[in-house]
Amino acid sequence: MSEQKERIILDVAYQPQVRTDRDTRRLMLDVIIALMPSIIVAVLQFGLNAVILCVSGVVSAVFWEWGYRKLFKKSTDIGDLSAVVTGLLLALTLPALAPWWIPVIGTLFAIVIVKQLYGGIGRNFLNPALAARAFLLASYATLMSACPVPNALSGTVDGVSMATPLASLYGVGSMPAMFSMGRLFMGYIPGCMGEISALATLIGAGYLLYRNVISWRIPASFIGTVALVTLIFGGKGFGHGEWMLYNLLSGSLLFGAFFMATDYATSPVTMKGQLLFGAGCGLLTVLIRYFGGFPEGTTYAILIMNLCTWAIDKAFRRHPFGVTKGDLMLKKAQAVIAKEEKR
Amino acid sequence: MTHTFKGGVHPNYRKAPDVSISVVAPPAQVIIPMAQHIGAPCNPVVKVGDYVKMGQVVGDNPAPVSAPVHSSVSGKVVAVEPRPHPLGDTIMAVVIENDFQDTPCEDLKPLTAEQLKDPDAILNRMREAGVVGMGGAMFPTHFKVRGGIGKVDKLVINGAECEPYLNGDHLTMLNYPEQLLKGIELVRIASNVEKAYYGIEVNKQDAIDLLNSFHPEQYGIEIVPEAVKYPQGGEKMQVKAVTGREVKPGALPSGVGCNVVSTRTCYAVYQACYEGRPVIDRIVTVSGSALGHTSNALTRVGTPLGYLAEQCGGFVRPPRKIVLGGPMMGICATSFDAPTIKGNSGVLFFTEEEDKNIRDPHCIRCGRCVEVCPMNLEPLFMYMYYTKNDYENLEKYHVMECFECGSCSYICPARMPLTHAFKTAKLMFQAKAAKDKAAEAAKAAKEAKK
Repeated sequence: MSEQKERIILDVAYQPQVRTDRDTRRLMLDVIIALMPSIIVAVLQFGLNAVILCVSGVVSAVFWEWGYRKLFKKSTDIGDLSAVVTGLLLALTLPALAPWWIPVIGTLFAIVIVKQLYGGIGRNFLNPALAARAFLLASYATLMSACPVPNALSGTVDGVSMATPLASLYGVGSMPAMFSMGRLFMGYIPGCMGEISALATLIGAGYLLYRNVISWRIPASFIGTVALVTLIFGGKGFGHGEWMLYNLLSGSLLFGAFFMATDYATSPVTMKGQLLFGAGCGLLTVLIRYFGGFPEGTTYAILIMNLCTWAIDKAFRRHPFGVTKGDLMLKKAQAVIAKEEKR
Repeated sequence: MTHTFKGGVHPNYRKAPDVSISVVAPPAQVIIPMAQHIGAPCNPVVKVGDYVKMGQVVGDNPAPVSAPVHSSVSGKVVAVEPRPHPLGDTIMAVVIENDFQDTPCEDLKPLTAEQLKDPDAILNRMREAGVVGMGGAMFPTHFKVRGGIGKVDKLVINGAECEPYLNGDHLTMLNYPEQLLKGIELVRIASNVEKAYYGIEVNKQDAIDLLNSFHPEQYGIEIVPEAVKYPQGGEKMQVKAVTGREVKPGALPSGVGCNVVSTRTCYAVYQACYEGRPVIDRIVTVSGSALGHTSNALTRVGTPLGYLAEQCGGFVRPPRKIVLGGPMMGICATSFDAPTIKGNSGVLFFTEEEDKNIRDPHCIRCGRCVEVCPMNLEPLFMYMYYTKNDYENLEKYHVMECFECGSCSYICPARMPLTHAFKTAKLMFQAKAAKDKAAEAAKAAKEAKK
């Protein structure tokens, strides 16, 4: 026994000596699982092209990540699955008519320029998938806005592409009869692949919340703010409640609130900060929808709030345990007194 | 309703309280280190060749913050020399060859009925019996309690046992309920307070029910059920959960009129006062994947760790790490020859299975560390400043408030070495403060000379 003991070299480490099983890879896997309902709906509604875009997004995202890390001799960490998530998220924000190379260019922008140039996972200050979507919108405007007719509506509509409910809501000012509330909820509408079905998004969101991958704060304050503002101000030719529901169910609001705004790297970490971040996203979304010339409210709202994340975290610093409001007021008062005395 | 604090984590508890107490046969040689407490280390009071009885004082120091150490067996002193200490380094120790007679030392008599009501007598006995914080902090109990007299109006007894694996407190409650309550009463009398609050996590409901059946109110004790959450047993968290009071940054619980004493310490006080028995043994939970099973072993102080593992069934896999205490706050021992000491609530032998550290980790900014930090800190920013050597900002982000509970590192999906960084940073701050103080003292001495 003692000889055996001699040969053992013991590790030493500071505490803790145990850690949770849930690592980055597991969290990313949970996000991928949560995206499955949306992917299934996309495939059902848009067929083979949806599969091609998703595969192209995932493969290219992983390739760019691997290639960049390899090229610059950094540790390769494609095993954390974050590139897979970026590829899927980007693919789901595309219209199903987009050609296969669109996600390839998109993920190049997302992975290399937005993520890796700033140091890789956790260091980017913009949501990679959303930034890439904004980039693609600017670069390939026609390709990016031609939304195909979903299978559920084939036969009712002529042609290959059609206007989305959101475009009807703000562009035309009336909602065509075929976009019933039920169809909006189920996803029997034209639109980007991931955003059409509120039901699929909510199933995925429920899974993320249940697994504690995301917190409720950002989505709740985001969606709540949009609901509140649209309910108060309403829209021409609609009842206030109806207007609010149309606003919640059309466009990429729900998908953005649950899957994009909750991106770890680009949202605040403090609880109050997260509430403010969500409210800011909601307010900007409504402002862009009401006054902007573009139906992409959610995308730009989240990107703008991404830029504020650092400042929000600084502004909402937490006070250590044991520091009461009274202590803080006392400190402030003392500072004021000191200033006065200096004078 | 259960009481608790904000934040915290739910680690995999892996508790085995159904494993009853097993008695570890005393080893052929015990090693009694002279430092088994915070404060001035003891000086040996025996020499090589002396015969010592079980419970005889082998080291003492008259300094106020200190506690004597006793022989845990009877036999002959074979060495008085530096030996490996479980917390690292080598420290002066008395090595005693066991004669397996366990001849008791009669120096300490049970206290008389009057003495049991006299705070001074109890406090003196705590010191004589070498009672220290047996939850792991090992702060001399007599000093803590004496220092709290007049300041403390609520005594908080820590029965959370929130660390995974550990069962010692739970088993003490189940096996010695009445003795334990009497021990708490003694600490309460010594603290000169009306009431003691005994916070116990509800995963020990059987113990709560059992203790309640002994009418704790007649001893001036109220049992407070607590939510099962780590670090419920942290001093500040315990005070918050039980009394609702929040200890100010940088202050001790006595600053808000509370003193926190652990379960096993109270039992040791009972043994010291009612039985005249010093601290020479305790329940040590021995577990880990290298052993493959859990033993709750009544172990003599000074039992070498390697011998303890053999007695608890031996290794099924080669160990990679020896953890003293629970896995969340426990520290690593560096030698199988190091002995157990008074503060060892557990000895865990871990293999690669428990090791989840990775090379080159990347923070993903998920904010879980912020959510779980019981001190309301922001570990991810503190870590960022640590890697930049930005001490000014580290201080601004209250790194000194971190009490190294390990919750942030535990929950971190990216496996960032958060607690490690803060512990290192705190040590650097302390070293810097000591250096500044020395420089100031030198300066003052120079001025005085002029």
